[in-house]
Amino acid sequence: MKRREFIKLSAAVCAALGAMELQGRGLFRPAVSLGATEGAAQCLTGSLGAKEVTSVCEMCFWRCPIVGKIKDGKLVKIEGNPKSPANGPRVCARGNSGSQLIYDPDRMKYPMKRVGARGEGKWAKISWDEALDEIVHNMQKVKKEYGPNAIAYFDHGASAVFMREIFKSTGTENYTNEPAFFQCVGPVAIAYLNTAGYLVSGTRQYIDMGNAKAILLVGSHIGENVHVSHVREFIAGLNKGAKLIVVDPRFSAPADKADIYLPIRPGTDTALLLSWINYVIQKNLYDNAFVKDHCNGFEKLRESVKPYTIEWAAKICDLNPKDMKRAIELLAKYRPNVAIHPGRHSTWYGKDDVGRHHALAILNGLMGAVAVPGGIYFPTPVKPDKAKGMELEVEETEPPVSLTTEYPYSGALGTPTANIIKATLTGKPYPIKLWGVNGVNILQTIPNPYDTMEAIKKLDFIFCSEILANETAIWSDIILPDATYLERYDAIYAYDGLTPYLTVRQPVVDAMFETKSPYWVAHQLAKKMNVDVFPYEKEQDYLNLQLQPLSLSLEKLNAQGGIIAFPAKPYRDRKDLKLPTDSGKYELYVEDFAKNKLDPLPKFIPVTAPPKGYMRLVYGRVPMHTFSRTMNNLWLNNEMPENELWVNDGIAAKIGIKDGDTVIMENQDGKKSNPVKVKVTAGIRPDAAYLPHGFGSKSPLLTKTYNKGASDQFMITRYENDPYAGSSSHRTSFIRLIKDGKTLDIPEIRPLPPEIPRFEIKKTA
Amino acid sequence: MSQYAMVIDLNRCVGCHACALACRAEWQVPVPYHRNWVKRLGPDKTPEGLSYTFWPGLCNHCDHPVCVGVCPADKVEREFKNPKTGEVKKMQIAATYKDPFTGAVLIEKDRCIGCGNCVAACPYSARYLNEQLDEPKADKCTFCVERIAAGEIPACVKTCIVDARIFGDLSDKNSEVYKLVHEKGAKPLSSKEVDIGPNVYYLGKKKNISLLFTKCAPHERKWEKVSSLPPGRREMLLAAIKGLPSFS
Repeated sequence: MKRREFIKLSAAVCAALGAMELQGRGLFRPAVSLGATEGAAQCLTGSLGAKEVTSVCEMCFWRCPIVGKIKDGKLVKIEGNPKSPANGPRVCARGNSGSQLIYDPDRMKYPMKRVGARGEGKWAKISWDEALDEIVHNMQKVKKEYGPNAIAYFDHGASAVFMREIFKSTGTENYTNEPAFFQCVGPVAIAYLNTAGYLVSGTRQYIDMGNAKAILLVGSHIGENVHVSHVREFIAGLNKGAKLIVVDPRFSAPADKADIYLPIRPGTDTALLLSWINYVIQKNLYDNAFVKDHCNGFEKLRESVKPYTIEWAAKICDLNPKDMKRAIELLAKYRPNVAIHPGRHSTWYGKDDVGRHHALAILNGLMGAVAVPGGIYFPTPVKPDKAKGMELEVEETEPPVSLTTEYPYSGALGTPTANIIKATLTGKPYPIKLWGVNGVNILQTIPNPYDTMEAIKKLDFIFCSEILANETAIWSDIILPDATYLERYDAIYAYDGLTPYLTVRQPVVDAMFETKSPYWVAHQLAKKMNVDVFPYEKEQDYLNLQLQPLSLSLEKLNAQGGIIAFPAKPYRDRKDLKLPTDSGKYELYVEDFAKNKLDPLPKFIPVTAPPKGYMRLVYGRVPMHTFSRTMNNLWLNNEMPENELWVNDGIAAKIGIKDGDTVIMENQDGKKSNPVKVKVTAGIRPDAAYLPHGFGSKSPLLTKTYNKGASDQFMITRYENDPYAGSSSHRTSFIRLIKDGKTLDIPEIRPLPPEIPRFEIKKTA
Repeated sequence: MSQYAMVIDLNRCVGCHACALACRAEWQVPVPYHRNWVKRLGPDKTPEGLSYTFWPGLCNHCDHPVCVGVCPADKVEREFKNPKTGEVKKMQIAATYKDPFTGAVLIEKDRCIGCGNCVAACPYSARYLNEQLDEPKADKCTFCVERIAAGEIPACVKTCIVDARIFGDLSDKNSEVYKLVHEKGAKPLSSKEVDIGPNVYYLGKKKNISLLFTKCAPHERKWEKVSSLPPGRREMLLAAIKGLPSFS
């Protein structure tokens, strides 16, 4: 049968069935429930009648429970697992497009070895054995020549966890350097760990927006930043009548839904929060009983915030003082049932970052919004057992000079990425000669990718494990082709939020080409390196062991729809409330910060303003893409193939730029961007420009997204490190525009108060 | 008579595009075509304030489907049965037609001659001509009637992460869609010039409805320009699909 006849046939048969369906509901059903043969099921249109396998999404880190729908051995559709109490049958745009990751023709299909110069993108296919032997050889060689700390590992997500043990086994202190911490959650994690005593915001945010009477978002753009259950809780809260306050220099999707929108001057959020803290103390708008019974350090706080008046902050923040008062009074009115969102990505300005989230945590404490409906809540642990031998117990020997010593809060969480790169570049305090990169495109993630590329040039060896040949893969000596999340087992995933559940990732389809699962790779490396870890041949072995204490197995779990839900215990009676801090209380004043010569209470640290003629570059997420990972996905690329630079309408009028014009960005260091289209809008402040993150790919091996749009990351060359953990700031670069070869200086529409210094560009002769 | 309808609540919608992708996956709609789309609108000034909203769009399954009127395919008689009452009705239909009992505007693919008239006629650009097929065919949203017949709900409704899409029978006074349209003021995307009775309705704040209508309400009576094919074109298209085996 010719193709066209086949199409004709299938269309006709299905159309005939379709016509029958129209004649009456149910007519069609018996054929299905009578256990029609596979062949007959194929005649069902769309995804109906498909074979179903439950699993866990990894299009982003939120990991929604999913079900893959398979016809003719091909994944045709992904839906949410209907039994999931978090997302039900729903998945987001990216979750819906997972099939296009598996079937992306640009996938890395075989282990590859670089044959051209680093970064040139020339490769030869090699065997797994050769690839792994080469990695082992180089790890051993570098360790022998330079010592274990010359080995560093950049890791992210489910792909990276097993190989971390291999790096640990070498004895390096640099076995984990997660951009997910040092480029994302670091500051907020530290702030809440030290006030509330637990990770209120890490991967997850334990914030009960669905039951809040008022919600405060400071820079969080929920809805553009999509994680299904999180967005659902946010919208559920609004739908039940919660008031919404949004603080953002840009009119974001949630700003549109806000009762009060505060278009704050970038870099001044802490000033706003300090003035609010002072205001609620002065006006006695705080939860007196909670503060008295459950907080430490109130008196010190009261004293320290006295200088921060609303009128002072209004000038700093460029906001209307009446709106500021209206907002905080609204929030206070509904205490304690208020959701003060802790934020997630918090590496904004460097020095000020932990303080900003500490201030949010303090405001949260003053509202008494702890373990009550609407506030921050306690996770409900759902713990599968640990299988023996899956993690190495290695005695860590801190080197005479450590890359973590200058940052007291970094060690336990890894080595600051900035320090790895500096040490690699300079050889100081010790040389780093080998990088492993797994599950993260470091060039589109870590500030100043130009430095990162220079550092890579100094390495003896770099390898990565990836699905697609992104910028980082292009720079690698060996690329290991990763099986996608839909082709492998990984782990049991337990959700400890408001809708606790336990589920498991399992292959929805067989792994394509020569791709392998992360466990398989780590298991092989362990064997080759003689490391006593991963005693299980197959993933199913350790998964079953982990499920055993719950009287479960993979088979039993699958028989019940691949997921089990548990009741949540998020709230506590005030009389039983004990915070997981050393004192059992909510630490407004953080003694431990003081011990480490850091600010025990947040204070106003001015963030330098753009130099004359420039505006600040800010960035964010779009709902159809994850980081820089999904731009080559056929379906998602089609939804949004390139980004646009948001420029204030007043600025655009003054410099003669129209909506849809193409410009080039030039930053304070003279770095220029790809051409990018301008979106002229009233929805951004005149002192900032906004660019959706992750575009402007530099990898020609990503055929759909190469050179499409502009990269924010390649404009972020200036960064500062937070003094607590050494995370790197991202909102500290400035741009002006070039149109038709002409450089356009950005006029200053909103004057700067004298308290805020201006960044000065050093003239190099 | 039943009329399937959808209400999209812009107060809930965050513009996540899940609907568009679930539709693409369900029906394997090839890129760059779409049956279901999200257009991002703003932030722009409106008389009611700054607005940043979305046009989650799909076929409106109009009361007066102008796409049906321009279909030049030979008419054939088809029998339709009311799923509720069993009532039977015979109708002469071209390749595209409005189902008399569900109100869904549908296409009989095997009789579509791929002329593109209906595509050009739709003021919402809700149809596309799939030219990636050996024989181009028109395609569009079906309100997922195939899924509904199997006891499912439309793919876009099922995936909507914030339950912003409400689907039902507008003729049923107890349905949620009826209440949202008749009591909560959900509005179809029409204009003075183009009012063909759409059955997709939008709820939202004044500013968002204002921006949606300013940017997306159709004004061009496109179907008036495609009332007939150029001489010989229809014959050519018919000849092109002749000779193929018949399955009717």
